Amino acid sequence: MTSATGIVAPVEVDQSAITIGTPVRLALLAGDDAELAMARRVALASCADVVLSLRASGGGSLLERAAALRDARADAVLIAAGSGGDDLAEAVRLAYGDAAHPLILVAAPDRARERQVAALAGFDPQGVAPGTTDYGRDALVARVRALRRPSGDAYLRDESIEAAARALAIATARSLVLVDVESEATTLAFSAADGTSFAASAHVGIGANADRVVARAGLDRVRRWVPRAVDGPALLDRVFNRARWPQAVPGTPLALAIEMAIARECIAYVLAQLEATGVDLAPLRAAKTIVCTGTPAGWPRPQQCVMTVLDALAPTAVHAIVRDNGDALVRAGARASRGSADVLTTVRPVAIVAAMPPRRSFDVTVTDASGAVDTRVTRGALVLVPTHGAVELRVNGTLEATASELELGVIIDARGRPLVLPARDAERLPALARWTTALSVLPQDPV
Amino acid sequence: MGWRFGESTVVHPLPIGVSRRAGEGEAVLAGDAIATGTIYGTPVRLSGARRLGLAPQDLARVMRVAPGAEVERGAILARTGRRFARAVTAPFDGRIAHIRADGDIELAPIVDRWVVRAVIDGTVTSTSDLEVVVAGEAWCLQGVAAYGPDAIGDLALLADGPSDEIVPSRIDVTQRDRILVGGGRSGPEAIARAHACGVAAVVAGAVPAAGLRAIFGDDVSAHGQVLRGDAPTVLCLAGFGTSALPESLYSPLRVFAGSRAAIHTASARLFVFAASEAAAIPATSPSLALSTDWGAVRALDGRVTIEPDVRFASEVLASGVATEAGPVPATNVLPVGAAR
Repeated sequence: MTSATGIVAPVEVDQSAITIGTPVRLALLAGDDAELAMARRVALASCADVVLSLRASGGGSLLERAAALRDARADAVLIAAGSGGDDLAEAVRLAYGDAAHPLILVAAPDRARERQVAALAGFDPQGVAPGTTDYGRDALVARVRALRRPSGDAYLRDESIEAAARALAIATARSLVLVDVESEATTLAFSAADGTSFAASAHVGIGANADRVVARAGLDRVRRWVPRAVDGPALLDRVFNRARWPQAVPGTPLALAIEMAIARECIAYVLAQLEATGVDLAPLRAAKTIVCTGTPAGWPRPQQCVMTVLDALAPTAVHAIVRDNGDALVRAGARASRGSADVLTTVRPVAIVAAMPPRRSFDVTVTDASGAVDTRVTRGALVLVPTHGAVELRVNGTLEATASELELGVIIDARGRPLVLPARDAERLPALARWTTALSVLPQDPV
Repeated sequence: MGWRFGESTVVHPLPIGVSRRAGEGEAVLAGDAIATGTIYGTPVRLSGARRLGLAPQDLARVMRVAPGAEVERGAILARTGRRFARAVTAPFDGRIAHIRADGDIELAPIVDRWVVRAVIDGTVTSTSDLEVVVAGEAWCLQGVAAYGPDAIGDLALLADGPSDEIVPSRIDVTQRDRILVGGGRSGPEAIARAHACGVAAVVAGAVPAAGLRAIFGDDVSAHGQVLRGDAPTVLCLAGFGTSALPESLYSPLRVFAGSRAAIHTASARLFVFAASEAAAIPATSPSLALSTDWGAVRALDGRVTIEPDVRFASEVLASGVATEAGPVPATNVLPVGAAR
């Protein structure tokens, strides 16, 4: 059973120096696929851009590897190789020679690490325990984050997000996933009720790095979410322009719909990256609370951020969705990363979402200050029941969730998981239009 | 910031295999070779210190040729002993690419040579195996994004006005090695034709992003793409899709037509090597306004009027800047050359 009770009205919080930090270009040199996955996990946790991935077992001559390293213009090189690490260390020596070199991190078992560090003498390599251990991973993440931090007293946004998720999960004693989408980066942080957590960040965003979303996810994956007929070349021009005007805001419903589409794919991209490193996404999708921060939390209508996380995260249970109040949660998270902070007062409850399997229709009873509303939900439907005051949700007579005041109400999502969009525009656009209309997501286009 | 005359610094990254590079303080012109090197084939690992019975750190003492040297087949690379000599010889013509930490020698055949050319007239301020930095004075215009290899050539104006499009039919081989300047837009057809005719580069207000993908591949981004080798060079001055250049950006180009110029792709800058008094620059910097639906870029010359608290059609509440087509969000307006 999910309850949003305990989340109250926002209060003022102190300003903090929160920054996404200096982008760090990270080259990953791994021994095999498992070590490469571990290294990618470190990159995700530290919000580093992976500019090169090489495996010792992947072939290629010493010169080809060195040339790839040189061309990658990395700020840091992570060698995560038990066997084959000596050859990778040689590639680093050849790539940089006597010239200025990036930070070299060597994460390998003891003997291999000693050998590689000795081979790289003169490059000031930093030996760290392998990233397969929590200690080793944390140490690697801390070193890469230190590169991104512009000054000692600056707070990194992703670090603050992770701390906020942990603090909020402990304060509410419920598992939680926090979704932060910004101009330059997207962060997902999961925390179990006991505070065990992990975070993943990538430099894909809805502003300066919007073009990366298109490059990595594909233009069609972004276009499929736009509930208007827009051709690929025109969409690409808009995304590229948006990337070069990092602080631009959408002035039309179409631009807002494009921004929402990019945000969905930002979240999907980080999820896919997490999954590729072997992380099980089921607990994340079943988290009791979903928190939205960043640009989506500030969109004009709350249903816009709800719709975006619903589509991208594809949650599978009954969830409370809350949103940040003008980055107050992020600032509280920044304080929590170096001490303690009251995070409960920084978010606004938006909706209760019940993701239901679409096998058959079912009865939903939503009770609020105005009384009880009975709704029959059919397969594939997306239904919003607006509420006022305290809310209680029953499905087929069973109490599923309660909440205090909600901005929006109760949303029943019977579209099924995984959410499948029709490939053809003629079928996809009506489906999207139906869903956006059901939640009143977008304003009407001006005539 | 639009056009400016002053000192600019250009970093020229170097590939692996440097043979020669310009020294610090050396004066260079745009187009001069500032570094040369070799492109290696597949290297062969030769047993070095182990074969000679030495510790790896002692190998340097018995090397007969320096790392990086070109050698012929049979050449002695390292030798030790007198009466019972041991030696490492080159099994083929090539170059010593690397000495490993364990004392082995990587010998690689030479399959080609590369040259890196200066993109600005000036003086070499620093040099290493990684890069050569040149600083010099020139007219400079910061673009939004550039694609392809660096380019050097004489400027040639191909459009009749700041909003005109480069028409493919106006491009021919007489424009070989020139940097063609269009007005508001250049399509992929014009860029491809220009490249086929040997044109050094195309400069335009905007290029359709889909056109850039057709030319440079699906990985192309809004932040530019540096390439080596045979590829077109394109500089976008305003954005993507359609645009018109501000008159204050376009009018100096009329004056600069025929001057030597260069494009540094990594930093998306156009350099023109003309006298500092060659063009007059207006006091107010022009701006570029991204339309409310992000589909086009509009030039704003001179001062702009801010309207507070405009409710846009998306329901976003923000300060607006008045334009002929209605207000656009103030955050959608940036000065030309602004840091992005």
